[in-house]
Amino acid sequence: MEQSFQMPGRHGYSVRVSPYFGHRLACASSQYYGIAGCGTLFIIDVTPEGIVLVTSLDWNDGLFDVAWSENNEHILVTGSGDGSVQVWDVAQPRVYGIDWSQTRDNDLILSASWDQTIKMWDIMRSESLASFSGHEHVIYSAAWSPHIPGCFASVSGDHTLRVWDTKKPYMAQIVIPAHEGEVLTCDWCKYDQNLLATGSVDCGIRLWDLRNPRQHVSQLVGHGYAVRRLKFSPFQGSVLASCSYDFTVRIWDFKRQKVPLEIIEHHTEFVYGLDFNLHLPGQLIDCSWDEKLMVYMPKSLTPLP
Amino acid sequence: MERAKVVFGHLKSGQEEYHRLQKRLTFEKHFVDSDDDVVIVHALRTPLCKASRGGLKDTYPGDMLVTLFSEILKQTGIPATMLQDICIGNTQQVGAGEQVSRISQIYSNIPYTVPIRAVNRLCSSGLQACADIAGSIKAGYIDIGMAGGLTAENVASRFNITRQQQDQMSLESHAKYNYTDFIRAARAQRNGWFDAEIVPVKTKVKAKDGQEREVLVSNSSQLTDGAAMVILARRSFAAKNNLPIFGIFRAYSVVGVDPTVMGVGPAYAIPDVLRKAVDDIDIFELNEAFASQAYYCVQKVGIPMEKVNPKGGAVALGHPLGCTGARQLATLLHEMKRRGKPSYGVVSMCIGTGMGAAAIIEYPGY
Repeated sequence: MEQSFQMPGRHGYSVRVSPYFGHRLACASSQYYGIAGCGTLFIIDVTPEGIVLVTSLDWNDGLFDVAWSENNEHILVTGSGDGSVQVWDVAQPRVYGIDWSQTRDNDLILSASWDQTIKMWDIMRSESLASFSGHEHVIYSAAWSPHIPGCFASVSGDHTLRVWDTKKPYMAQIVIPAHEGEVLTCDWCKYDQNLLATGSVDCGIRLWDLRNPRQHVSQLVGHGYAVRRLKFSPFQGSVLASCSYDFTVRIWDFKRQKVPLEIIEHHTEFVYGLDFNLHLPGQLIDCSWDEKLMVYMPKSLTPLP
Repeated sequence: MERAKVVFGHLKSGQEEYHRLQKRLTFEKHFVDSDDDVVIVHALRTPLCKASRGGLKDTYPGDMLVTLFSEILKQTGIPATMLQDICIGNTQQVGAGEQVSRISQIYSNIPYTVPIRAVNRLCSSGLQACADIAGSIKAGYIDIGMAGGLTAENVASRFNITRQQQDQMSLESHAKYNYTDFIRAARAQRNGWFDAEIVPVKTKVKAKDGQEREVLVSNSSQLTDGAAMVILARRSFAAKNNLPIFGIFRAYSVVGVDPTVMGVGPAYAIPDVLRKAVDDIDIFELNEAFASQAYYCVQKVGIPMEKVNPKGGAVALGHPLGCTGARQLATLLHEMKRRGKPSYGVVSMCIGTGMGAAAIIEYPGY
């Protein structure tokens, strides 16, 4: 079943499923394609009768990414264009402004910023705990390793993928010149602690084994424009989904074939946000600059009977 | 524009996409700048308060004008003697509005040598006043003038339209429209987007000075007290005197429509003034005399809803007949400035007795 949610005047940047409730989604969006204007965080519920808006929270600048708290079902964190990180309490809407953008969290939050640093935050404290420098261009994404404590990866416009140890903020542990263009997204495999995927402006997706970072282990080609975001499936170790400036979402199984299992073309604009539903095998959620958020079950992900 | 540059960077492989996006983000100029352009130097308004009962109910209409006259001259630093004409839109004032305008002028220490007059075109009086001053500048009669509008309804119970009739007119589908309007107005208020355009008015009432105006959920704009003021000048004159250029008064159009159909004026006036695609306009300040007529006009012209009254319209804010056009102009220009991007906006309203007016305003972004 496919369901869609309209966000009038708002262009989707990122979408995430709550780690507590499989039917609850958060979507970070921006006015005017995130170039100017304000932003809105939509909290929505997927119900059999359709998608229902739970609440929408406004911010004075575009919201570019969102992450749910892993230890409180009501707490969310967003990164915004004005350089601040917002902590939202949905149970009691209230905002704490802190400093710089884009996130992913276990107990702590990472924000990847255009100021070429990554900062680590504890939402209970207003100062950052650590600042990681080394990237030489805008940092588009930072992601905690789901396996190794205190380890995270980051990708940047400087064409590199870097892997960090939180105890050593002054330099990255591994620096990989990953692509021939800006690297916009990365994600960790949920089943292999050494495996990472990156997506780039060069239209390619590459898979990396951290034990041998000199050469990528696999390359997936097919997107017509830059790959904006990619996510590994929480259910199958070799399956990942990617979304792109070419308006499509593609689903890949890199162990089976180099071409996509499926190409989804239900958007009419850049597709920016993408997430698997951890609670519902086979469900994918994406959002796009066409003001639409889609919740659907791609054929290629439908579990075999 | 740094953000746009970064996004463009992601599209290196696609020149076509690049141009498509660029077209959307850049400002395409449709008018050629000339020394004879009528530029808007500044625009301000008072709070709008419910007529008869609201925060301004005991305020003499002249007090609002005096406050605005003084404040707009103070904020722009223009010496009162520089003004060559003043035109005030009104609908209800005694002496056809001339008396209160002239008295307010004298009270504001604008010397009697500056001429002033009043104009009445019902709901568009405020905009008509701006257009009249703009016209005088275009014709070469004057170089700089002030236009505004005023409504104090403490005398009025106008038009024989009953509340029941208004309710009928508001079809169910418009409830959503009303709701959106209030949300937008409340958001704009909360975020302080009105701060730059509003001048508080001192009044004798105990009420919380109009800043905290009460909003009534209804299906029509309330009768409202309020005033607004705009200074217009020829571009060459503004340049010579170092006056800021806040906006440019590009075009104005007023059309007659069937008087038996309420409120359809904008549906004809907007296409008439635009003669161009709606796509090129970023904001439409469309006066909501009634939700139904505003909704109809938006549908008829085919304006995307997010472009209409982004700070809320008259259903939420109120519709002070004599001042609305000038009020919308202040709201529009301050919003375009807040967004920070050169753009075009349209001010439009329907007019009692079967007319519609619309004007194109350019925010040049400097």
